[in-house]
Amino acid sequence: MNTAVWRALISGPLFAAPGRSLLAVAAIAIGVALGLAVHLINASAASEFERAARQLAGEADLVVRGGRAGFKEQLYPLIAKMPGVATASPVVELEASLHGRRETLKIIGIDALQAYAIQPQLAATDNGARNALFDADAIRLTASAARELNAGINDMVTFKVGTQPLPLRVVEILPDSSYRQRLGLMDIAAVQWRFERTGMLSRIDLRLAKGTDPHAFRQNLQALLPPGVHAVTPQTDSERGLAITRAYRLNLDMLALIALFTGTFMVFSSQVLALLRRRTHIALLRALGVTRSAVLGWLIVEGALLGGIGSLIGLAGGYLLAGQAMTFAGADLGADYFRNLHAELTVEPLTLLAFLGLGMTFAIIGAALPAWDAARRQPASELHARDDNDALHRPLWIGAGLAAMIAGAVLALLPPMGGLPIAGYGAVALLLIGAVLLMPALTGLMLSPAPLPSSTALALGLAQLKATPRHVAISVAAILVSFSLVVAMLIMVLSFRLSLGQWLDQVLPADLYVRAAVSGETATLSAAEQLRIAQSAGVASISFSRFQSLLIKADQTPLTLIARDLPVEDVHNSLPLVNAPLTIAPGAPPAAWISEIAAALFEWETGQVIALPLGGAEHPFTVAGIWRDYSRQNGAVLIDRRVYRKLTDDHSANDAAIRLTAGATPSEAERSLRAALPSAATIEIASAADIRKISLGIFDRTFAITWALELAALVVGLFGVSVAFSVQALARRREFGVLRHLGMTRGQISAMLAGEGALTAGVGALCGLAVGTVIGIVLIHVINRQSFHWSMELHMPWPQLLLLFVVTAICAAATAVFSARSVMRADSIAAVREDW
Amino acid sequence: MRYVSRRRLLLAAIAGCCGISGPPVVKAAPERSGIADPRRILQFPRDHGSHPAFRIEWWYLTGWLQDRAARDIGFQITFFRARPQLRPGNPSAFTPEHIIIAHAAIADPVQGRLIHSQKAARAVFDLAGAATDNTGVWLDEWHLTRHGNTYTAKITASELALEMKFAASQPLLLQGVNGYSRKGAAAEAASHYYSIPHLQVSGTLRDSGQPRTVSGKAWLDHEWSSSYLPANAAGWDWIGINLDDGGALMAFRMRQGDTGQPLWSSATLRDAAGTSRTYAADTVRFTALRTWQSPRTGTRYPVAFRVQIGALEIELEPLMDDQENDTRQTTGAVYWEGAVRVSSRGRPIGRGYLELTGYGRPLAL
Amino acid sequence: MLSLSHLHKTYSGPAQRAILQDVSLELVPGDFIAIVGDSGCGKSTLLNLIAGLDLPDSGSVRLQNREITALDDNTRTRIRRRDIGFVFQAFLLLPYLTVLDNAALTLKLNGITHREAQHKAQAALSAVGLSELIHRFPGTLSGGESQRVAVARALAHEPKLVLADEPTGNLDTESADVVLQLLRDRVKAQRSIGILVTHSSDAAATADRIYRLHRGTLHAA
Repeated sequence: MNTAVWRALISGPLFAAPGRSLLAVAAIAIGVALGLAVHLINASAASEFERAARQLAGEADLVVRGGRAGFKEQLYPLIAKMPGVATASPVVELEASLHGRRETLKIIGIDALQAYAIQPQLAATDNGARNALFDADAIRLTASAARELNAGINDMVTFKVGTQPLPLRVVEILPDSSYRQRLGLMDIAAVQWRFERTGMLSRIDLRLAKGTDPHAFRQNLQALLPPGVHAVTPQTDSERGLAITRAYRLNLDMLALIALFTGTFMVFSSQVLALLRRRTHIALLRALGVTRSAVLGWLIVEGALLGGIGSLIGLAGGYLLAGQAMTFAGADLGADYFRNLHAELTVEPLTLLAFLGLGMTFAIIGAALPAWDAARRQPASELHARDDNDALHRPLWIGAGLAAMIAGAVLALLPPMGGLPIAGYGAVALLLIGAVLLMPALTGLMLSPAPLPSSTALALGLAQLKATPRHVAISVAAILVSFSLVVAMLIMVLSFRLSLGQWLDQVLPADLYVRAAVSGETATLSAAEQLRIAQSAGVASISFSRFQSLLIKADQTPLTLIARDLPVEDVHNSLPLVNAPLTIAPGAPPAAWISEIAAALFEWETGQVIALPLGGAEHPFTVAGIWRDYSRQNGAVLIDRRVYRKLTDDHSANDAAIRLTAGATPSEAERSLRAALPSAATIEIASAADIRKISLGIFDRTFAITWALELAALVVGLFGVSVAFSVQALARRREFGVLRHLGMTRGQISAMLAGEGALTAGVGALCGLAVGTVIGIVLIHVINRQSFHWSMELHMPWPQLLLLFVVTAICAAATAVFSARSVMRADSIAAVREDW
Repeated sequence: MRYVSRRRLLLAAIAGCCGISGPPVVKAAPERSGIADPRRILQFPRDHGSHPAFRIEWWYLTGWLQDRAARDIGFQITFFRARPQLRPGNPSAFTPEHIIIAHAAIADPVQGRLIHSQKAARAVFDLAGAATDNTGVWLDEWHLTRHGNTYTAKITASELALEMKFAASQPLLLQGVNGYSRKGAAAEAASHYYSIPHLQVSGTLRDSGQPRTVSGKAWLDHEWSSSYLPANAAGWDWIGINLDDGGALMAFRMRQGDTGQPLWSSATLRDAAGTSRTYAADTVRFTALRTWQSPRTGTRYPVAFRVQIGALEIELEPLMDDQENDTRQTTGAVYWEGAVRVSSRGRPIGRGYLELTGYGRPLAL
Repeated sequence: MLSLSHLHKTYSGPAQRAILQDVSLELVPGDFIAIVGDSGCGKSTLLNLIAGLDLPDSGSVRLQNREITALDDNTRTRIRRRDIGFVFQAFLLLPYLTVLDNAALTLKLNGITHREAQHKAQAALSAVGLSELIHRFPGTLSGGESQRVAVARALAHEPKLVLADEPTGNLDTESADVVLQLLRDRVKAQRSIGILVTHSSDAAATADRIYRLHRGTLHAA
C-alpha cells in the first residue's frame, strides 16, 4: 500500500515534472550553501581570532593593559613583586610601519625568560634563534608573516621608525603550528630601543601563584594601576577584540539566513503549485482509502527528501564557496577586521549537521503548509473539480499580513538587545512576512484596474493573471522577497557610500596630506621635521595630528585619541558634527569632540565633563560636540594638540594637513616638501582626492560580498518565477492547445507568457520597491545605528533601482517563456483531447 | 672539570634562553671580558661576591640530607650568572646585561627520580641580580646569601621548596693553583674556582608532601670564567665528595667527542688534617662499573665508577639510579647529576655528588 | 471547398503503426458530415491534418484551393485562425475570460477591432441563445451552456470549416440535441463546411452524410 501511495502521490508526479523538483532542490541548495559558507567563514574567523588571542595570552591569568602608548615600565617591578604573582611577563606591542610598503607588521617585544612560562610556544626552536634572542638587530617571524613579507632566514626586513629605516635580520621563522597570526617577535629591550619606546610597556601578562584568589588579587592590583591602565582576564581581552566585529558578523549571518529563507519560500511555492496540480491525484487516493494523515505524511516526506538532497548539495557547495571566498577575500571577507589573522577554514561536523537540519526543516515547513491544506480538502468535491477557480475564493490573509507588518514596525522602534539590533532584524523579517501574506490581496488590487491591452496575446495574459491572483501571488511573492532585499541593500549601501563621500569631503578639507607612513604607529614626524614641513614653499597653513589610543574601560577596545592643531573657531566647520556644538566657557575643562561611536560606547553627551587618561594621569575635558566618524569603529575623541602636548610632552606627529598658497600646485608643493625632509622618500604625501579614492575603494571591497549575496537572492527569486510558471504551464497545457487550435502562433503564446512574467515581476518588484525602501530605512536608521553606532543620510538611488526593475522584469519574462517552452511543443495539441 | 660541566650546562641553559655563544660575526664590538689570571690572589669576602666582568659565574651547592626518620635525600641548589654578548648602547632598562638562572633538585629514593625546578630572569629592576661585595644572588624570592660564615638559601616552587642554612665547618678549598683551575690543554680554558666542603646543613624541605625538617652535609662550588671549552669535548664526569674522616675530594675528567677518551683530568684531595694535594691528569683515572639506561630519553649513563687518584682507589654507587635531570624545556640539556655513596675496598668512606654530561647527544657549542 | 486526397500517416515509434491509409474526401460549402469510428481509429489524427496542426506523410489537404501541407507553421496557424472553427468534447473555454470574451477571442486574434469583435461575438452568442449570459465566467455555466458558448466561439468569425470533435461526449442527451441542432443550423446558415467527429450514432444521424473510419481507411457508411 505504502509503495503504491508513494508512487501515485510522490514519485510519479516527481518524475513527471523533474524540472520543478530540481529547482526546489537547487533553491534549498543555494540557501544552505550561502548560509553555510557565510557561517563557516565567520566561525573560522572568530575561532581563529579567539585562538590567536588565547595563544597570545597563553596561560596568563590576568593581563594588565593600557592604551596604545602603553604605560610606564616602573609599574612592572611593582607588579612583579606583588604577593601572589608567579610570573610577570612584560610586553611591548606595536604596529610597525614597513619601509616602502602599505602593510604594517605587529611586533611583540617580550622578555623571553618570563614569557616562556606563560607562552611556551614562543620558545625558539633552533640554536640560531636561541643565540639571537637578545640581539637588538634580530627579529623572529611567524610563518604567515614571513610568507607575506616574502622573507627567509637571514633576510633583512626594513621597518620605519620616525622617518628613518630600521633593518632587522630574520633569525627564525616560527612554524604555523605555534602562531598563525602575522607577527614579529623581538626582545623587549631591543624593541624599546630600536622602536623608540624606552621606558614604556604595552602590557604585563600575569600568572598567579597557586592558591591566589584572582578576584581579590585583581582588586589589589587595580589600586596600583594608574588611570587608563586596567587588569583584565585574557577572555575579556579576546572578547573585547571580537566584540567589535560582532555586529558585522551578525549582519552577514542574517544575509545568509535570508538566502535560506528565500530558499524555503521556493519550496513552499513550488509545493503549493505542485499540489494544486495533484489535487485530483490526492482526492483519488483519499477516495480509495488513504488516510488524511498518510497523505500529509507522504507529502512532508517529499519535502524532507527535496530538502535533504538540496541541503546535501548545499553543504558541499557551501564548503567549497567558503574556501574560495576565504582565499580571495580573506576571513573577514574584505572588511579588514582581522588583518593580522591567517585563518583556515575549520568545519565542525555539528555545524554541518545543523545546516542539514536547517535546510530540511525549512523544506519540511515549506512542504507541510500546502500539504496540510491539500490533505484537509474533501475528496468528493475535489474529484470533480474541473479547474482552479474555487481556490480564488479562499480567504486572503489580509489580517495576518497587516498584523505582521504592524509588529515589524513596532520592533523597529525597540532599542538594541545586548548591543545587537536583534529587534531590527526581527522587524525586517516581519515586514517581509507581512508583505508576502498581503500579496494575494495586493496583487488582485493592483491588477484589477489595469486596462486590457490591445494586443490579444497580452490581453489574454493579463486576463489570466487577474483571474488567478493567488497563483500569481506566489510568483509575485518570490520576486517581492528577493527584490525587496536587493532594494534594501542597494539603498543602504549606496546611502552609506554617498554619506561616506560627503564625510570624506568634510574631513579632508586640505589640499595635501603628509603622513609619516601609510599605516602603522611607529612612523612619526619629529618636531624639527614638522618645522621644516611648515616652512616649505607653497604651504599656506598646516595642521599636524598625533594619534594615540586610550583605554577608558577595561572591557572595551581602546579609544582613538586625535590631537590636532586646531584653530578652535574653525573646528565646527571642519568637523562633520551631528549636533549643535557647545562653546566652552572660560575656566571650564578644555574641549573634546567625540565621535558618534564614542558617544554610544561610553554613553557620553555634549556638555558632559569626561576624564581622559593622558600621560599617566586623568585629565578632565568637556564634550564640545559629537561628530560623524566612519573610520574608527572603536570610537574616537579629538582634542587640541596644544593641550595634548602640555599634558604629555609628546611633540611628535603622525600626519599633517596642508593648505597650499594660491597658485601653488600640489606637485610643486610635494617636490618642495620632499626637498625639505631628508628622509623624504619614506614620507607619504597624498592629495585629498587620492585619500578619498582609496577610502571609497576600501568601502567597495568591504561590500563586495553583500553584492554576491544579493545576486544569489535575485537568482533564487527568479527560480521562484520559473517554478511557478513551469507548474502553471503544465496545468495550462490544454489552454495552450486550445489557443493553438484557435489560431495563436507559438510566438503569440510566448508573448503572452512573457507578458505574464513581466507583469508578475513588475507587480512583485513594485511591491518589493515599497517594502525594500522600508527595510532600507530600517537598515539605515535601526540596524546600522545599533550595530555600528553611526548615522547616515537616506538616499534613494533611483537610476540603479530603475535599472534593477527593468532587468528583473526582463529576466522574469524570459524565465516565464523558458519555463513554459516544453509545454508549447506539439503535445499541447493532444492535450485538448485528454479527458480528465 | 667542574668548570666544564657547569659551563656546558650553562651553555645549554643559555642556548635555551640567553644566547651568549652566538656566532661571532654579527656582534658589534663586544666589551672586553675578564680573563682568568693565574697570578691573581683571591681576596675574601670580595671574591665571594659576583664578578660582572666575567661572562659566567655560578654558586653550586650539593649534598646529602637526612630527615627525622633518618632517610637519606640528595639535593642540589645552583645559581648562575651569565652575561650575554650584546650590542652596546641600549638605553632600555630591560637590557639583559646579566641573566640569573637558578636550578634546584631533590633526589629522594621514595620518589625514585629527581624532583626539580628552575628559573631564569634578566637582572633588571632588582628583580634578580648578584651582589659584588659578598655572596648574594637572587631571583625573585629565590636566593643564596652569605652572612659571616653562614649561607642561607631559599627555593620555593610548586614542585619543591627548600629553605636552608649552611654553616661552614672548614676553611675554603682553593682548586687548581691558588684557585686558578685549568680546564684543558689550551691555556685560555681556565677559571677561578674554590669550594667549601663539609657545610653543616639545617632547614626544611618540601616536595610533594608536608615540609620536613632536614639536616646534613653539603659542598659549595663558586667558579667564574669567560673562556671557552675545547671544541672536541663531548662531555665530562665530575665528583665532589665529603669524606667521613673530614677530608674532601674533587675530581673531573673531560671526554673527547669521537672516542670518549679523556682529554683532561684533575683532582684535589684535602685530608682530615687540612693538607691538600692536587693531582695531575695522568694520575686520575675514571672507570665505569655499571650503566643505567633512562626509560625517558634512552640515554645510557655510567652511574657507578671506580676512580683512582694517585694511590687512592674509590668506588661510587648512586643513592638511586634514576637521577637524570631533564631540563630541555628551559635549558636544552639532559644530564645526570646525583648523590653517590663512596667506598674504598668495600668500606664506606664518604658521600657526595657525581655529574655526568654529554652522554645523550654530543655537545655542540 | 475542402479536398483531401490520398492522405497517409504513419506514427514512428517502437511499434510503427499506419494511422491513415489513402484517405480521400471532397466537401463543398454547406456540407455537414459526420465521421464515426472506434477509439484509436485515427479520427483525431485526421482532424489534426485537416486543421494543419500536423502534416501527412503523403497526400494533400487543400482548403479554398490552397495546399495546406506546403505551408509553414505560422501560415497554417493564420489559416486556422481565419478559416477554421473548433468545438471540443471538453468545451475548453478559457476560465479566466467571460463568455463574451471567449466568443470574441478568435475574432480578436484575426485583428478585428475590439468593438466589432464584441459586436460579432454578441451576435454569435444570441444565435446560440445565450444573450443573457455574456458577462458570466465559464465556471458558472452548465455543460450544455458551455458547449453552446464553444459553438458560438467556433462560428463567430464565420470560418469556412468547422471541426467538432465529440461535441456531445460530455453532455446529457437533451443538451446534446440542442448543441447539435445549433451547430448544424449555424454551419448551414453560414455556408461553412461542418465535420462532426463522433462515435455516437444519434449524433451522426444529424449529419448529411456519414463516413466510417476503420483501420485508417475512410468509407462512406
